[in-house]
Amino acid sequence: MADFNDFKTRLKIAKDKLRNNSINTNNNGNNSFMGNAFKLGTELVAAVVVGTIIGFILDNWFDTKPWLIILFFFLGSIAGILNVIKVAKRMQEKD
Amino acid sequence: MVTNPMHQFEVHRIGPEIKIAGVDLSFTNSSLFMFFSAVAICGILFLGTKEKKLIPDKFQLISEMFYNFIAKMINDTAGSKAKPYFPFIFSLFMFVLFCNMLGMLPYSFTVTSHIIITLLMAIFIFIAVTVIGFLKHGFGYLKLFVPSGVPIVLLPLITIIEIISYLSRPVSLSVRLFANMMAGHTMLKVFGGFVISLGMLGGWLPLSFSVALTGLEILVAFLQAYVFAILTCIYLNDALNLQH
Repeated sequence: MADFNDFKTRLKIAKDKLRNNSINTNNNGNNSFMGNAFKLGTELVAAVVVGTIIGFILDNWFDTKPWLIILFFFLGSIAGILNVIKVAKRMQEKD
Repeated sequence: MVTNPMHQFEVHRIGPEIKIAGVDLSFTNSSLFMFFSAVAICGILFLGTKEKKLIPDKFQLISEMFYNFIAKMINDTAGSKAKPYFPFIFSLFMFVLFCNMLGMLPYSFTVTSHIIITLLMAIFIFIAVTVIGFLKHGFGYLKLFVPSGVPIVLLPLITIIEIISYLSRPVSLSVRLFANMMAGHTMLKVFGGFVISLGMLGGWLPLSFSVALTGLEILVAFLQAYVFAILTCIYLNDALNLQH
């Protein structure tokens, strides 16, 4: 019987250890934090670039240089900021 | 010439020149390292799944860890509806991860440090996600561009902004991976060049920097593969579970 009890306590200790480990891995959010940091920067720039390219193409189509490129540059900037806000919201939801 | 930090990104031909209909299809060092990573992935997964032991050996453990990692990621970010797309995201993650990691070996070539590769993958994902969205929701998918609760006056403006933000997805996805890989490898090479030019006396500082950067680069290589896969999951989630 002593053996059995011994086994039980050892099992309990091992299980506790496992639980602690899993909590630790959950808290180990450093990696995804860094991933998020990388994400935010490019998200902001990409929308501006895409907006400007769309403006450039439309300008060539409608012969309205340089008005549409200016307009779409600003729209792209707004879209970029909106993207960043979306990503940040998603980051907060996770926590 | 060897200390030129951009020299490592040059693509050159290996073997004979192959031209089909005016398109250069020769086998390059880039193709060679894509082939290497494909072989490494297939090899590890083949060895890992050859015999299913109760107590896994190293390869089985690694394969199971990869499987669990991706399965959990898809489940957490895109829900159970995304299960059929598991093979695609798994291969995508493994390919990017192995290309990044093989690029960390000395004298090797980093496939993902060329924007054409990352842009191709990103555009494929973008088109696939759009097609999936239209297949699942029909023209209701266009609701993605019309957020609810917006005044009518602002609606055209918001729609244009949403479309730009949607179109910026492949750009941000590809530029992120490419820029991180290229910047990291350039930095490693620059610090390596400092070691040589400063010699025995002053070379120790850049050498220690170089060691630290190598560790950072391995982290970045994993992280970028992870970010690439998780963003694909997020886009897939938008297409499968329409919300706004």
